[in-house]
Amino acid sequence: MRSLKLQILGTALLAFLGMQAFAHDTNTGMHISTKSPAAHAAFEKGLEKMEMLHIQDGLENFRSAVKADPQFALGHIVLMFFSQDPTEQVAEREKAMATRSFASPEEQLIVDWLSNSSQAHMVPAIQAMNEALQKHPQDKHLHWLAGWWLLVDHNQSQRAADMFERVMQLDPKFADAYNEAAYCYARMGNFDKAFTYIKRYTELVPNEPNPQDTFAEISRMAGRFEDALQHYHASLKIDPSFHESQLGLGDTYALMGDEAKARAEYAKAIDTASPVQKVSWSLQVAATYVREGDLAGADKAFNAVAQQAHEKDFANLEAEAYRSMSLYQLEGKASLDLLARAEAVLHEDHKVPQLLLNEEMATVLRTRVERALQENNKELASATFKQLQGLADNNGGDGLIEEALHGASGAVELAQGNFSEAVNQLEEDEANPISMRSLITAYQKNGQEGNAVRLSAKLAALNVPQIEQALVVPEFRKLRAALSAKTNSALDPRSKYR
Amino acid sequence: MRIGSRICVLFLLAAALGASSEAKQLAVIVDKTNNVGGMSTTDLAKVFKFDNHKWPDGRPVILVLRDPSTPEMQTAIQKLYHMQPDEFKTLLAAHQSGVIIVHSEEELLKSVESIPGAVGLVDVYSINGHVNVLKVDGKLPLEQGYYLKGN
Repeated sequence: MRSLKLQILGTALLAFLGMQAFAHDTNTGMHISTKSPAAHAAFEKGLEKMEMLHIQDGLENFRSAVKADPQFALGHIVLMFFSQDPTEQVAEREKAMATRSFASPEEQLIVDWLSNSSQAHMVPAIQAMNEALQKHPQDKHLHWLAGWWLLVDHNQSQRAADMFERVMQLDPKFADAYNEAAYCYARMGNFDKAFTYIKRYTELVPNEPNPQDTFAEISRMAGRFEDALQHYHASLKIDPSFHESQLGLGDTYALMGDEAKARAEYAKAIDTASPVQKVSWSLQVAATYVREGDLAGADKAFNAVAQQAHEKDFANLEAEAYRSMSLYQLEGKASLDLLARAEAVLHEDHKVPQLLLNEEMATVLRTRVERALQENNKELASATFKQLQGLADNNGGDGLIEEALHGASGAVELAQGNFSEAVNQLEEDEANPISMRSLITAYQKNGQEGNAVRLSAKLAALNVPQIEQALVVPEFRKLRAALSAKTNSALDPRSKYR
Repeated sequence: MRIGSRICVLFLLAAALGASSEAKQLAVIVDKTNNVGGMSTTDLAKVFKFDNHKWPDGRPVILVLRDPSTPEMQTAIQKLYHMQPDEFKTLLAAHQSGVIIVHSEEELLKSVESIPGAVGLVDVYSINGHVNVLKVDGKLPLEQGYYLKGN
């Protein structure tokens, strides 16, 4: 909280200059204080665009807002929050902190919350967020931001759903609240509720592409691929430039096993994407070669992405390209060399936020632990695990790093035959297909057959466009089918002769 | 698509994609005037088992707890008390003057905020700026290796 002296000075300065501090435009809106009417209008437009998922337009509006008023702390921190550019994120956080004293108390809490969060200081971040929510219970935008943060940064689907449902109470026509709540419930496996919210969402904004896009994505999560394709096409019919739906078509074909079609659809999406999206989505293109077993093609594609990322200084994406390649290498040495290359990239001097570099480093290290164990190189596994532990200790509270550590720890415990501890560790990394597969083994060895059966069904039904999914799930489905044919006489072709 | 999807661009393995576990972490909270910044798990257990009745400044310790059936208290019973639920209830009954049972997180936060010497356990995502959060074995909630967590 800023000092009283600063508050008084700030208020006096505004009064002296005769500048207008804009109050809530509606009784459920966010307090936006800026001396510039242009900044205020651009910021509101930015929120409106974001809430309709017009992300690039939203970002452009936020950029215009802070250009019109460089001392607009809320504008800087919200731009940081939504920006896709790591260097912009760092710069905007610094600007938000530098201009914090010009902001209203509510805005200062939002700055404290998001700035602390971006630096992995989670206790003060949560305190500031809850303080803001408590003081402004009618602010729908604030609740929407909080829901988003809880869902994406913290995996708190139920808490996030509560926030979005509060937004619905405050403004029953706040369309994105239904959209986000649908994802929350889909993640919790409650597809009935998810589809209920999606339907309401499509009714609220029938002429927008995103409701159809959401319908498609949740249909895909539920394994309804044909429905997914139909809704993605419906979205593109409404707005042919809605390239997220174009990407969704690529993802859906990739998961259906039609990799050539997936690449064709991805190419259309990449054509109109932002620089960081182009690199990130190219990783998905490269993964299609892995899905069809063309490992030479995959190497070529991933190397090209790494080069692209290098040129743009997206170091975490460059490292991810090398890490992805390491996952499917048949030779242990080739895999470990690629991981060393990924690590070297992350150690170089970059303008990417340290948090992102650290998260990618944790992912690289966990992959090395797993590969070293696969190669029976216990020394390397142990040394890398210690390195990962050190990284986690220095990045308290970061969910992704913690999950990487649990995944690696679970792999080590499983390799050592400590099945109970392996279960404890792997349960903390349950969204990762590699850990899910190991956890099934750990459950079986630990006598928890019921859990093994439940998790097997979940892994077999996992439809996410991830490289780990590509490597684990199709193979796992084949094994299950083979096992099922062995144990279910109805599926055994010999049974008709009996 | 949801806005969160864009985060996958940067957080490649972000949990944006699959269902994941939602582990609960408990924050140990005290009133703002309490200067104790942290405790070891051993000392914390002494406080919660009524073996240590006073803070270093001499104020009496008042425990503020939820009903034993709540998930938060299940984690606490398992991690701090190492007791069966019946044993735990007997312990509480024997120390009624040192404990307040509340029925909601809001009530717990308000009680800890307003009662000098109060200490409570709450889901970390509920904490606010009116209470202090203690480190346990040198760690805050959501830091790697934090002790008070459970599914």
